[in-house]
Amino acid sequence: MRWTSSIRNLFLMPAVVWVLVFTIFPLGYSLYAAFHTVTSETVVNRMEVPRLDKEGNPVLRSDGTPRMKTEVVRETVTNWEFVGLGNFARLFTDKVLHEAIKVTAIFVGVGLAVQMTLGLALALLFNRNMPGRSLLRTIMILPIFATPVAAGYLFFTIFYEEGGPLGWTGIPWLSSPHWALVSVIIVDIWQWTPFCFLVFLAALQGIPDELMEAAKLDTNSSWSTFRNIVLPLMMPTIVIVLLLRFAEAMKVFDIVASLTVGGPGNATQSLSYLAFRTGLRFFDVGYASAIAYTLLALVMVVVTILFKRIRTIYA
Amino acid sequence: MNGMRTLLAGASTLALLAGPALAGEFVEWQDDGGAIIKLSPEYDSAEIRLSAEDLGGLFGPDELPFEGDEITVLTLDSGPKGGISGPLYAFRPVFEELSGASVDIALVPISELYTKIFLDLRNGTGEYDGMIVGAFMYGDLIDGNYILPIDDWRESGDFPAWSYDVMPDSLRNIYTWDGVGYGVLNDADGQVLYYRRDLLTDPEHQAAFKAEYGYDIPVPPDTLQHLRDIAAYFDGKNFDDNDAEPDSGVVLHLKVREQGLYHFMTLATSFAVTPGELSETQGVYWFNPTDMTPLINSPGHVKALEYLKDLAQFGPDAQVSWSLGEAWDYFLRGKAVFNFSYGDVAPLAQDETRSNIRGKIGSTILPASDTYWDMNQEEFITTDEPRKVGNVTGGSWHGTVSVLSDAPEATYAFWSLMATKPISKWLATYGWNGVDPGYDYQFLEPVGEAKLEDYLAAGWDETDVKEYLAAYYENFNAETMLPYLRITGTQEYYDILDSNLSAAMSGAKTPQDALDDTAAAWQQVTDRLGREKQLEAYQKAIGWQG
Repeated sequence: MRWTSSIRNLFLMPAVVWVLVFTIFPLGYSLYAAFHTVTSETVVNRMEVPRLDKEGNPVLRSDGTPRMKTEVVRETVTNWEFVGLGNFARLFTDKVLHEAIKVTAIFVGVGLAVQMTLGLALALLFNRNMPGRSLLRTIMILPIFATPVAAGYLFFTIFYEEGGPLGWTGIPWLSSPHWALVSVIIVDIWQWTPFCFLVFLAALQGIPDELMEAAKLDTNSSWSTFRNIVLPLMMPTIVIVLLLRFAEAMKVFDIVASLTVGGPGNATQSLSYLAFRTGLRFFDVGYASAIAYTLLALVMVVVTILFKRIRTIYA
Repeated sequence: MNGMRTLLAGASTLALLAGPALAGEFVEWQDDGGAIIKLSPEYDSAEIRLSAEDLGGLFGPDELPFEGDEITVLTLDSGPKGGISGPLYAFRPVFEELSGASVDIALVPISELYTKIFLDLRNGTGEYDGMIVGAFMYGDLIDGNYILPIDDWRESGDFPAWSYDVMPDSLRNIYTWDGVGYGVLNDADGQVLYYRRDLLTDPEHQAAFKAEYGYDIPVPPDTLQHLRDIAAYFDGKNFDDNDAEPDSGVVLHLKVREQGLYHFMTLATSFAVTPGELSETQGVYWFNPTDMTPLINSPGHVKALEYLKDLAQFGPDAQVSWSLGEAWDYFLRGKAVFNFSYGDVAPLAQDETRSNIRGKIGSTILPASDTYWDMNQEEFITTDEPRKVGNVTGGSWHGTVSVLSDAPEATYAFWSLMATKPISKWLATYGWNGVDPGYDYQFLEPVGEAKLEDYLAAGWDETDVKEYLAAYYENFNAETMLPYLRITGTQEYYDILDSNLSAAMSGAKTPQDALDDTAAAWQQVTDRLGREKQLEAYQKAIGWQG
């Protein structure tokens, strides 16, 4: 059978529709919203109609008059008021937003540094023969399967200062602004270090044995082998993991929502959480879209830099 | 509670003597047109008698006035036995049997309730026929015409009977808007001071306190400054018998976005409101009523926050991240001398399965500061007779009917069944269910209609309940009240204040900076929502005549 262009297009159609509906449309819609103040109102018309019984006859009151019921006809009207760059201008004067950017930057910077380092160290540790390695490896990756909200609530009980399992430390895990941010980062590290570990381990095991044996002939230094052989070979994997984790960490929401609700004050309020609250708590949809686009821009800049780095490595 | 069971047994006997005409699983009709409603064993199989007048004209042994109607009501999630949502579960089967309608109860955490309600209303989805709302949502609800007025139904005689006349003005004002009824009687929120009566009256502590501070412990505390001294005296002592850990002078619920701001709101009134007839400088708390300039960073408010911070040092450090339940639990375990909070605490204290302080809990209207900021003279004034200021702080959670409902009458009927006097009174006396007292028939004689025996039979300690009801009566009927903010965007104004208060209480900002930041952000919100429109709404809300 010849694959005509129309058949090919037909098979492509689901993917095109998917991208249009679930990627392009939300992006376009939120971009449009970012340049507007969006308000909506519901116009309701209510009509009194006779209440009918199962046989379709009017239900009567004791005085013989029909019992009425209400039928509602409603129409929601959304008003879009163009405000140009007004919502984006607010970004520069909004102290809460600046705080959220700082919180997100610390969360991503510290969290990723620890996750990558720890993940690599654990991968190196588990990339050698040791008793119970398979069992330990399985246990190691369990946190990945927990939903972040569940992890947040789990750690809420662990960090509970009055009688929680870590209460004896005397550390104000959730009541101090600084420690609360540390707590959120710890949960993220707990959940995502296994992911880094798993991918790094796979990359390590993909390094040809001959290469390692040849390196051993040249030097006895493990550090030298790691720095000159292992690290360069793993670099594409490291950058990919960094990229994936960066994009994911920048969107942190669930842990914050379940563990600290952004507090104390706004000490753990991330950009995503702020955008959510601005849009769905205060219904300031235009400004929430502007915040979301700022987040997107930040992610895009870093991702572009990382992609360039990947290209350089492969070149 | 054995007393409660005795009461119920008595009620059952009376019901049998009256002679059942028609017995259903949850409703037993009487010959006089009234009915005995029977709750499930989860609610101790309680039985409550409603007269024909209580039930209204639509309901009767052969009537199913809302047969086939399906309604969905939204409430904050405390579970089937918890606060506010519990009574809905308790009375749902009763209502379904009475009306023929079916009721679906949708639950969301309190932190998401506002979002759920307004997403539904703004998008016109109409998923919920009725919502349990907090009174602070009225500005947005009325502005969007999202809820239906209920006076015609209430006055028709068709529906279960209840009245706004049983409410003190302070509560009536927040259940209505511009004289029109929208909310169906349910909960009555306000904060009073709870204290450990046994400790404050203990002769040894009294002598030691006097030696240290030079005056007798006033019982109950008469000013906030005395309260601070007492909290400081007890803090760090191990006065409960349950563990070897030192205990606290006070415990607060300060978690951000979990009602933490209400402590400050209540407490700041006596520091920040200049007494006198309502004017630009008197009787105002939130905004200047001529131009919507925030007053929240006035010297009085700042001093109040400094006081709150000072007081909080005599509580557990973790309270900065505690919501209501955690702080209440700490107090109920006997680990703090003071807690100022809602009407839930005293009922919870009666339950000895979770409380060590039954018979030891005193209640009083929140003491006032002996120093306040006078906006006329622009200086702090110290007085020998501080004004006690009442408050209706909180949500006073109650049912409303959505304008999008296809079955508004059935929804109203469900809410109004729980508002009838016998049920409302039962809710006030029977254990903890989040529905707190505030109405005439819930207060003790002579100021109210309730009899002490009703409460004793339900398991209350006599002194506890007397003080508790007296404190709430005084609070709701105080001459000076904390003005209740009910303008469009109240949730956002509150949220900004809440975040900044939390930052101050956790040490991230000074009180002055926190309230300055609040004022600046409020200005932006007011400008965005429309200063003229907001001003008009605020003036109406506080009864400003110009």
